[in-house]
Amino acid sequence: MSSSTKFLTLKTNDKEEFVLDEAIAIRSQTIKNMVEDDCVSNVIPLPNVDSKTMIKVIEYWKKHSEEGISKDKLMDFDKAFVKVDQSILYALILAANFLNDAEMLDMICQEVANRIKGKTPEEIRKEFNIENDFTPEEEEEIRNENVWAFE
Amino acid sequence: MFSKHACQSVPLDVLSSLPDNVIDEILMCLPLREAVRTSILSTKWRYKWCRIPDLKLDYKLWQSKVDKRSVLKKFTKIIYHLVTSHDGPISKFILSIRGLEDSPVLDKLIYFLSRNSVQHLELDISGYYKHKLPSSIFTCLRLMHLSLSGCSIQLAPRNFKGFDTLICLELRNMTISSKILENLISNSPLLDTLMLHQNVYFGIIEINAPKLRAFEFNEMEGSICLKSTPNLQDLTLWHKNYHVGSRNHFKSFYHLEYLVLNGHSLKVLAVAAGEVTTRLPFDLNSLKQLCLDEIYLRELDVVSSAVFLIKSFQHLQILEIQVEDYDNDMSALQCLELEAFSDVKFNHLRKFELSCFTGSDREMQLIKLLLAKSPVLENMRIHPLPDYDNASEKLKNEIPVLLNTLQRASPQVEVVYVFGS
Repeated sequence: MSSSTKFLTLKTNDKEEFVLDEAIAIRSQTIKNMVEDDCVSNVIPLPNVDSKTMIKVIEYWKKHSEEGISKDKLMDFDKAFVKVDQSILYALILAANFLNDAEMLDMICQEVANRIKGKTPEEIRKEFNIENDFTPEEEEEIRNENVWAFE
Repeated sequence: MFSKHACQSVPLDVLSSLPDNVIDEILMCLPLREAVRTSILSTKWRYKWCRIPDLKLDYKLWQSKVDKRSVLKKFTKIIYHLVTSHDGPISKFILSIRGLEDSPVLDKLIYFLSRNSVQHLELDISGYYKHKLPSSIFTCLRLMHLSLSGCSIQLAPRNFKGFDTLICLELRNMTISSKILENLISNSPLLDTLMLHQNVYFGIIEINAPKLRAFEFNEMEGSICLKSTPNLQDLTLWHKNYHVGSRNHFKSFYHLEYLVLNGHSLKVLAVAAGEVTTRLPFDLNSLKQLCLDEIYLRELDVVSSAVFLIKSFQHLQILEIQVEDYDNDMSALQCLELEAFSDVKFNHLRKFELSCFTGSDREMQLIKLLLAKSPVLENMRIHPLPDYDNASEKLKNEIPVLLNTLQRASPQVEVVYVFGS
């Protein structure tokens, strides 16, 4: 590693500290902006991310920063990366959104969409614990309103 | 006394409370029909789809097994619904539809998109005949990317002053008046990428585009003149016919790094340079990669044009040639002999690829020439024409031996001959 490698310390909301190569950490636009605006002191606090999630995020960043890694390998990695419980998926979405990593956010949103795709409204509600608060009349009204989508 | 926490027994609906931008992102990953169907999940979801900033209406949307109504009826219904329900800016809109009859709804749709500041617009409405594109297209003044396919533009509003922010323009299978096309190009000062594919227009189009970086021209009829394109880096000229009108190209070549030509455009260029002298009167040192496709080595003017070009681009690093002769019975040519290149060296050529090789003398001359004149050549790949004379003793056994006997100026060159795969 060259002597010019700079490291940043990231501190999650459960007080864990992660020391990370700056070149990798700036995959996060949020961190990049802080570095560029020179408002990085010793430790960058990440009030919206817990350590468990941060470990996953760093795993993703490191893999996607590997030199010369093939597209196929990355795709396999991504596929496995999103095969997690919904709660972890949500935590990752919120972390990616806070850290402003568009590539990672896109990928996880695609996974959520895949879990919605091809399901009936009832199946989607069950999968995501969405409570149906419509009356049957209202439901009928919505079907009529958007009739082409329900045909 | 203390009741159990409610959240422990009823799992939370986290999805519905994700930030708006995340929900938009998720909905954009769904086909439009499924995104609209989320309206029935719960009150929170009822209008979430109405905010999607990227809308994609593809072929699948218009297919229906049950419904025998015409495409037009369905189109009218869906577009009316979108126009009346959508709320907020639309940055990207993609429409692909086949067999749509002329419809005022299209005009309304485009006008609606222009009011919503559409930046990226792709319309593919190819069908039995070409749709007249509504003039509302000229009101989309925020456009950065415009891709049109299968329609016709015959008139532009008198007061149209161009698209100030347009970066990419792609026209495929369009009928367009050459005057409008010229205007579109020269009145889009930021235009970076231009693609013209299989359009119908008449006369010569003069291209004035100060920022143009990439240009792909693949046309049956029509002709172009690169009048002023000082920043052109990537150029593909794929003429389907020989047309004399395309002149003055070389003046636009000073920053060119990547050039693709076929047999026809090669001749056009060579003629433009003044009936093929031996070399251009000026150096074109920026060109790094040259691809010559559909080259007929049996045509003498093609060969001399190719030779002329290769001699002109002395800083070439990569050269790819795809021959199109299907014929190995061609005698050697004097202009491909080493002696004809006595004052030429390809000091930068690293890679050479020859495809659809049939083992003709002319191809072998070319290989011999490049091996002898390229001191830093790293890789030479020769792909024989698939299924061409597989039984031939020459292609199978003689050529590989012959290749090994040729003089090589570069000590590290690897010659790969891929027979039979």
